[in-house]
Amino acid sequence: MLVPLSWLRDYVALDVPVEELADRVNISVAEVERIIRRGVPDQDGNLGLYRVGRVLEAGQHPNADRLQLCRVDVGEGEPRQIVCGAWNFGEGATVAVALPGAVLPDGRRLERAKLRGTVSDGMILSERELELGTDHTGILVLAEPWDPGTPLADVLPLGDVVLELETTPNRPDLLAVYGVAREVSALYDSELSPVPGTEPERAGDEPVNVSIEDYEGCPRYIGRLFRNVRVASSPPWLKARLVAAGLRPISNVVDVTNYVMHSLGNPLHVFDFDTLGGGRIVVRRARKGEEFTTLDGTRRELDPADLVIADAEHAIAFAGIMGGRDTEVRESTTNVLLEAANFEPVGILHSSERHALRTEGSNRWEKGVDPYLAEQAATYATELVVELSAATWVGDVDVKRDLPEPPIVHFRPARASALAGLELEPKGQLATLRRLGFEGGGNGSITVPTWRARDVTREPDLVEEVVRFHLSEVPFTLARGAAARLTREQKLRRVVEDVLVGCGLSEAYTSSLVADDPAPDAIRLPVPLSAEQAVLRTTLLSGLVDSGRHNVDVGNEGIALFELARVYLSSGEVRPDEHWHVGGIVAGGFFRAKGVVEALHGALHVDLRVEVVQRDSLHPGKAARCDAGWFGELHPAILEGAWGVFELDLPALFAAVPDRLVYEDVITYPAVYQDLAFVVDEHVPAGQLVETAQEAAGRELREMRVFDVYRGDQIAAGKKSIAFRVAFQSPERTLSDEDARALRERIVSALADRFGAELRA
Amino acid sequence: MDAQALENEAQSAISSAKTLEELDDARVRFLGRKSELKQALREVRDAETGRVLNAVRDRLEQGVAEREAALRESKLERRLSEERVDVTLPGEATSRGHLNLITQIRREVEDVFLGLGYTVVDGDEVEDTWHLFDALNMPPGHVTRSPLHTLFVNGDVVLRTETSPSQIRVMEAQEPPVYMVSLGRCYRRDTPDATHSPIFHQVEGLAVDEGITVADLKGTILHLARALFGEERRVRFMTDFFPFTEPSLGAAVSCFLCDGRGCSVCKETGWIEMGGSGMVDPNVLQNVGYDPEKVSGFAFGLGLERIAMLRHGVPDIRMFWENDLRFLRQF
Repeated sequence: MLVPLSWLRDYVALDVPVEELADRVNISVAEVERIIRRGVPDQDGNLGLYRVGRVLEAGQHPNADRLQLCRVDVGEGEPRQIVCGAWNFGEGATVAVALPGAVLPDGRRLERAKLRGTVSDGMILSERELELGTDHTGILVLAEPWDPGTPLADVLPLGDVVLELETTPNRPDLLAVYGVAREVSALYDSELSPVPGTEPERAGDEPVNVSIEDYEGCPRYIGRLFRNVRVASSPPWLKARLVAAGLRPISNVVDVTNYVMHSLGNPLHVFDFDTLGGGRIVVRRARKGEEFTTLDGTRRELDPADLVIADAEHAIAFAGIMGGRDTEVRESTTNVLLEAANFEPVGILHSSERHALRTEGSNRWEKGVDPYLAEQAATYATELVVELSAATWVGDVDVKRDLPEPPIVHFRPARASALAGLELEPKGQLATLRRLGFEGGGNGSITVPTWRARDVTREPDLVEEVVRFHLSEVPFTLARGAAARLTREQKLRRVVEDVLVGCGLSEAYTSSLVADDPAPDAIRLPVPLSAEQAVLRTTLLSGLVDSGRHNVDVGNEGIALFELARVYLSSGEVRPDEHWHVGGIVAGGFFRAKGVVEALHGALHVDLRVEVVQRDSLHPGKAARCDAGWFGELHPAILEGAWGVFELDLPALFAAVPDRLVYEDVITYPAVYQDLAFVVDEHVPAGQLVETAQEAAGRELREMRVFDVYRGDQIAAGKKSIAFRVAFQSPERTLSDEDARALRERIVSALADRFGAELRA
Repeated sequence: MDAQALENEAQSAISSAKTLEELDDARVRFLGRKSELKQALREVRDAETGRVLNAVRDRLEQGVAEREAALRESKLERRLSEERVDVTLPGEATSRGHLNLITQIRREVEDVFLGLGYTVVDGDEVEDTWHLFDALNMPPGHVTRSPLHTLFVNGDVVLRTETSPSQIRVMEAQEPPVYMVSLGRCYRRDTPDATHSPIFHQVEGLAVDEGITVADLKGTILHLARALFGEERRVRFMTDFFPFTEPSLGAAVSCFLCDGRGCSVCKETGWIEMGGSGMVDPNVLQNVGYDPEKVSGFAFGLGLERIAMLRHGVPDIRMFWENDLRFLRQF
C-alpha cells in the first residue's frame, strides 16, 4: 500500500519529520517497507528553478526538422530561448519550465546546452519528466493561464514522499489513505477530517435496474447512473496522486474509481451503460460453461462458484476482481453506470486463486471490506465524476439486505494494563480507542466501528488496539520460569553428536523426504513436493550417500559425515512412529565405520555385540549387525569406492546406556600383560575366540584385544594366526606368575577344545 | 697415607672431569670400594684418623655431587641449545569433525532457555490438523490449511508447518505453569530459492502462567537476542498479525554489524527481523482447557536457518542441505 504524504495530509495534520512518522507507523500500525521520495527533489532551492512559462514564439529549429525553437517568458523580463522536441503546443501555451541548474526527478542536472548549434536556456517538461503521469507524447500544456514566473510548485504537485506499507491481512481498512490517516490521528492524538465526499444534487430520477440473486456473495450493490459524461484525461493533481500511489491514470471516470478506492478502501467499477443488455445489472453465480473476456483481453471460462456481474443476458464482469472488455468505459462513452458494492471475502479469494487473477480489487475484497463503506465511496465518486467529467447524475439505487450491526464488546482498561505489564491510564486508553472510531466505554461497553467489525470482536482484540500504541514504553522483564533440564535422551543425543565430531565426522542435514525408500510400508505423500521428495524416509542412508556423492563430485577429500535425525515408521496408528536415528558415511571402508561405531558404544558404555548380516545396501562380505542397528561397507554399486556406513536406532542404543557407572579398581593391584597368538581355521571369527576365552578365564581376564592377524608362509593354507594382547588383573590381590599361567592354560585349552586353536610359540 | 695429598689429587680430578663418564671414573678411583680412601677407612684404628678420613670422604662426595650437577646442567643446556624447531611448520594432523551450524545454534538457544527455566520439548513432525491448525485458532478455510501451503500425509495428518503444535500437546498434557521451547524441522510447500527451503528449522517458545505480560515477552526476546547477537543489542516490537496471538508482535534486533546505523545486512534500516511473537490468544488457551481469566502467556517463533544466515553471512539457505564439507568445515 503506497501512501503519498500529500494525500495523507488532506485528512490529518502532520508536522513531524517523515522518518519519525515512519518509525511510529512501523511500530503501531503496519510495517513501513520503504520511504520513497519521488518527483522533483525538494532540496537546495531546486523547486525555485521550476517555473510556469508562457510560449511567446514557437517555430522550426533552423538546423533540425524535428525540433522547435521557442522563446518562453518565465517572468524574468527577458524571455529565454528553449529548444523543444515536442509539437503539441504553439504560441500562447502555458507550459512547465525547468531552468539550467535544476535537478530533474531522475537525478540528472539540467545544463545550459547547445542543441544543433542553438543555445537552449532551459527545458519545457512533459508530465512523465515531472513524474506526474505516464504521457510522453508531448509536453505538458497547463490548462489554466497562470502568470509566467509563477513557481511551478504552486500549481502542480511537483514532489512527494510516499510510505510503502506492508499491511496485515486483518486490516483491510489500512488499504486506504483515509484509514491510514485515522491511525495517524490516534498516534499523534490529532483531529481526523470527516470522510471526504459531499453528495451533489441529483438532477434526475431515472430508474436503475439492479438485482442481487446471491446475497451471500454480494450483500450490497449501489448503482448510480450518469448521463452526458465527457470522458477525457484527468487533471494533473489527480494523475499525480494516482501515479504516486502506484496506479495508472486511464481516463477521468476510471481514475475517479481508483482514486476513491485508494482514498477510502472500497473498490468501485464503472460500466458503459449503453452496452448493458436490457440496461440491467444482475449479481449472480456464473452459469456452467459461461465465458466472457476480461479487461486484460483474456477469454475466461467461468466456474459455477464464481460470482459475476451480468446484464440481462450474460456475465459482463468478475464481481470484485475485474471488469469485462465489452462494457468498458471508453473515450466515446457518454452514459456511465457506477458500481459501489460489497462482496464477501472467501468467494472472491477462491475465484481469484482459481483464475490466478489478483487485482487491487480482489486484494481488498478477500480481506473483508466494510459494507457500510459502499455508500461513502458512492458519494465521493459521484462528487468527483460530476466535477471532473461535467456529467449529470440522474439515477440511484441501493440494493442490500440487512447489514450486520456493529459489535459491542465488554472492555476493562485494567485488563490492558495487566496484560501489557505497564500501567496505562483508562482515560488515555479510551481516547486512543475513540480516535480509532470506537465509541462508548463509560460503562465498560465499546461499540466497534463497522470497518473493524471482522477483526475486533472480543476484549483481547481491544487490548491489542490500546497496547500497540505503547509498545516502546513496555518495560523488559523476565517470567519466573520453572525447574528445567534436558531429558536423558536429549543429553545423550548431544553426547552422540560430540563423539562423532571427535571421531572426525562432520554433521550433515539431509531431507526427510526421499525419492524412494526400501521399506514397503514407508509413508508416501499423496501430493509430493517433487519426485525427489515424495516418501517419508525410514532410513538415513540415501541422504548420506547423496551428500557423500556431492562431496566426491566437488573434489572434497577426507569425506566423513553423520546425521542425527528422525525416521518415520508405519505404526498402524494415524500418525507414524518418529524414531531418532544416527547414521554416517566415511571414506575408508568397513573398519573405519566399525571404529566409529565402537567409539560411540565406548563413549556411551554400551557393549558392542556384532553378527554377520545381509543387507541390500551393503557389501555382502562386509556387513554387520549390532543391537541398535547395522554397519558395514557400502555396496560398491551404490557409490564407487570403499565407504564405511552405519545407522543406529537411538532409543535402542540409549536403552543400553547404564544409568550409573561404578568404580572398578584397576589401580591397586597391577595387571599382568601377555601376548598370545592362536592359529585357527580361516572361518573362525576373532570375536568368538574372545567370548570363549572370557567364559573360560572369568573376570580376571580384564582385556583381550586383537593386535594382528597373519596369513602366510609360516601358517598352513586355510588357516590364520590371530595375535591378542591380554591383561590379567584382580581387584583383590596381585596375581602371581603362577596365577597368570593358570589363567592362560584355561584360555588355551578352551580355545583348543572349541576351535582347534593352537597356541603359537 | 697423606690424606691431604690424596684429597688434593681427588678434588683436582673431580673438578677437571669434562663429562659424567670422566666424573664417574674419578668417583670410582677415589671413593669406590677399592679406592685408597675406602681401604684406609676400613683399616682405621684410632678415632682421630677416622674423623679426618671421614671428613675427607664427605668433602669428596660433596665435590662429586656438585660437579655432577654442574655437568648435568651444562649437558642439558647444550642439548637445548642444539634442539630447534620451525614453529611455523604444521602440527601433527588429528581428525576433527564439525557440528552443523544449525545444531550449534540450536544448542545455544536451548541453553539460553534452560537457564531461564524452560524445558526443551521434542515435538512430532507428523501432526494432525487439530494440533497444527484448529487448536491454534486457524479454523477450516484458513489460507495456510490449503494443500498449496501444507504437505498432507493423509486425511487430517500433515507435516507440521511450524513447531507450534508441540505447545498444544504440552498444554493438553499438563496444568499451568508451562515454560517450554521446542526446536525442530518444519515443512512447507515452498519453491526453494536463496531464502526459502521446503524443510527448515524453527524454535518455538511458550510461557503460560499467572500474570505473564508483554513486558515478559520483551525481556525474554531481549535476553535471547543478546545471547545470539551480542550484549550490546537492543530489540523492538512492532504490531503484527497471527491467528494464535493477540496482540501479535514482530520482533526485530538492532543490527549487530552496524549497531543500528544502517548497512547492507540490515538493508539500511538498522534493524533485523527476528521472528513473530505475541500474547497467546485466549481461544488457544480455552482450546486446551486453560482459563484465560486466570492465566496468560506469550509465544514466539524464530527460524534457525535465518539466525545462522544473518549471524554468519551465509548467502543461500540451500547450502544447509548440500552438506558440502567446504561449508561444514567453516563452523
